[in-house]
Amino acid sequence: MTILTTEGLTKRFPRVTALDRLSVTVGPGVTGLVGANGAGKSTLIKILLGLVEPTEGSGRVLGLDFRTQGDEIRRVAGYMPEHECLPPDISATEFVVHMGQMSGLPRTAARERAADVLRHVGLYEERYRAIGGYSTGMRQRVKLAQALIHDPKLVFLDEPTNGLDPKGRDEMLALIRRIGSEFGISVLVTSHLLGELERICDHVIVIDGGTLLRSSAIGEFTQATQSITVEVEEGQEALAAHLSGLGETVTAHGRLLAVHVRGDQTFDAVRDAVCDLDLSLVRLEQGRQRIEDVFRENAHV
Amino acid sequence: MSETSPTGVIHDIGYRHYTGPRHGRGYAVRALTVHSLRGVFGLGRTARAKIIPYSLVAIMMLPAVVQVAAMALISQRPLTYSGFVPAMQVVLAIFLASQSPFLVAPDLRFRVLPLYLSRPVTPRDYVGAKLLAMTSALFLLIAIPLTVMYIGELVIDMRPGESPFGEALGPAVPSPDTVGYLGSMAFGLVYALLLAAVGVAVASFTPRRGLGVASVIALYLLASGVSVVLNAVFQSTSDDVLASWALLVNPFFLVNAVQNWIFGGVTGTGLDYPDMAGPLGALAVLALIALSTAAMLARYRKAASA
Repeated sequence: MTILTTEGLTKRFPRVTALDRLSVTVGPGVTGLVGANGAGKSTLIKILLGLVEPTEGSGRVLGLDFRTQGDEIRRVAGYMPEHECLPPDISATEFVVHMGQMSGLPRTAARERAADVLRHVGLYEERYRAIGGYSTGMRQRVKLAQALIHDPKLVFLDEPTNGLDPKGRDEMLALIRRIGSEFGISVLVTSHLLGELERICDHVIVIDGGTLLRSSAIGEFTQATQSITVEVEEGQEALAAHLSGLGETVTAHGRLLAVHVRGDQTFDAVRDAVCDLDLSLVRLEQGRQRIEDVFRENAHV
Repeated sequence: MSETSPTGVIHDIGYRHYTGPRHGRGYAVRALTVHSLRGVFGLGRTARAKIIPYSLVAIMMLPAVVQVAAMALISQRPLTYSGFVPAMQVVLAIFLASQSPFLVAPDLRFRVLPLYLSRPVTPRDYVGAKLLAMTSALFLLIAIPLTVMYIGELVIDMRPGESPFGEALGPAVPSPDTVGYLGSMAFGLVYALLLAAVGVAVASFTPRRGLGVASVIALYLLASGVSVVLNAVFQSTSDDVLASWALLVNPFFLVNAVQNWIFGGVTGTGLDYPDMAGPLGALAVLALIALSTAAMLARYRKAASA
C-alpha cells in the first residue's frame, strides 16, 4: 500500500531551487524525512498539502492528485507546522474545537474529539487555560492535537521536537510512535536529526539540497551502520590497541570507540578485552548513524 | 471488601476513530464566520476584550433610548432614521478601528493562518468569512438601535405628519415612518459592508494590532477632516456646489447621500448634498468595496504562498 508518491517533483523559487526532481514513495506507518535546514522538507510538505504549486513533477497523496485535489487532501490529512501557530488569548480546548470545526466536524463531535485528543497528547487540567501561558512543550502538544482533531488518515509533522528539552523530546517521539502504531494514522515526520527518527520510524527518507539522498527501511540503516559504540571509564587507548591487535577495526570518537561488527565474535572480543584489561564498562550499544554519516557515505559513492 | 474494584480510576480506553459526518467547505467557512463574529464582541475571550465593544454598543443605544423617551414625553422625534448613522459616525469609526485589527491581526502575527489554510478553506473563503463577520457586527450595531426606535414609534401614538425638526428644517415625516425605517435598515447593510471592507482591508496589512487600530482611525480622521476643511474653504469662497461635493469625502456622508437619493428624506444633519451625489456616490461606494476586497484577496494570496 502506498500513502504518497512524488514523481520528478521540482520547485524553483526566484532565487533558490527548493526541490530538484524528487521522486519518493511513502508507505503506511511512521516515515521520517531527514535533511539539514533548508533541504526542502517544509516545501515538500506544503506541495503535498496542495498549498504550494510545484514547478514541475506530479504525485499523489492518499490516491489524490495534489496539484488538483488539494482541498480533498486537506480534508483527510493533518498538518503540524514547524513554526508557532497558536493564538495566545484562547484556551487549548476552545482552539482545538474550533480547528475541528474548520475540518468539517459538527460542534458536538469536535468537542468530544478535542477532549479525547488533548488527553492523548497529554494535556489535562491546563487545557482550559489560555495558551499564552503555556510552556514550549505544552504548545507543541496543542499543535499536535489540532493536527489530529479530525482523525486524519495521514499527518505531516514538521519538526515536532523543535525547542523541546530531552525529556519533552522523548515524550513527543513516543507519542509519534503511538500515532503511527496504536492510532493507525500514517505519519510523515521531519527532523534534522537522523538519530532521533531512527528510534520511531519504519522508513527514513534523507534529502539534501532538494534531492533524494537515500530512502530505505530503518533496518537497512542499522545494517549499513554495523558498528557498536563502546565507552569505558578510562583506558580507551589500551582497549583500542588490544582490539586492533585482535584484528577488529576500531575508530575513536573522543571518549567513545566505534567498533566495526564482523560477527558475533566482535561482541565476545569486546567483552573479553574489557575483562582482561580490568576496565569499567560504561556503555555498549549499537552504533547510531548520524546524518553526517549518511552524507559522508554518499560522498564516497 | 478487598475485592471491590477501586473507584475514581480513569480508564484509558485507547484511541477512538471518528466515523461521524464530515461537513464541507461551506460549513467550515460558516464556523470561521461565527468564531470571528464572537471574537469581535469578545465572546469566549477575557473580560477585558468585552469592555470596548459593549461600551460602544451601549453608546449606540443611547440615541434610541432618548428618541423613545422624547416620543413618549414630548411627542417629538429628535432623530430621523436616515440621520442616525451619520450622527453616530464617530462611535462606529471607533468600533471599526478597535475591532477590525482584532479580527485579522492575530492570525497573521501568531501565524494561525497556515493552520486555516491546511484545512479545506481557501484564502478567498478566509477573506469572505472575515468580511462577513465584521459586516454582521456593524450591521447589528446599526440595526438594533434603529429597530428599538421603530418599535417605540409603533407603541407610542404620535400625531402623524409632524415634522421632526419643526417645519423650517424639513418636510413632514409620517408616523410610523416605515419607509424611512426599512430604507435605513437596508442602508445599514451598505454602511456595514463599506466600513467592514475598508477597515478590515487596512487592518490586514499589519500584523500589529496597535498599528492596525491607529491606521483605521487615522484613515477615518483624514477623510472626515479633509471633508470638513474643504467644505469650509469652499463655503468661504461661496462655492456652494463644490462645498457640498466636499462633504462626500466622508464615507458616512457618501452613503447617506446615496440613501437620500433612493429613499428621499432628510439627513437631520442640516447638510445638502449635490444633485448628482446619489448615482455617483453609489458608484463610488461600489468601487470602494470592490477595491478593498481585491486588495485583501491579493494580500492573502501572497500570505498563503509564503
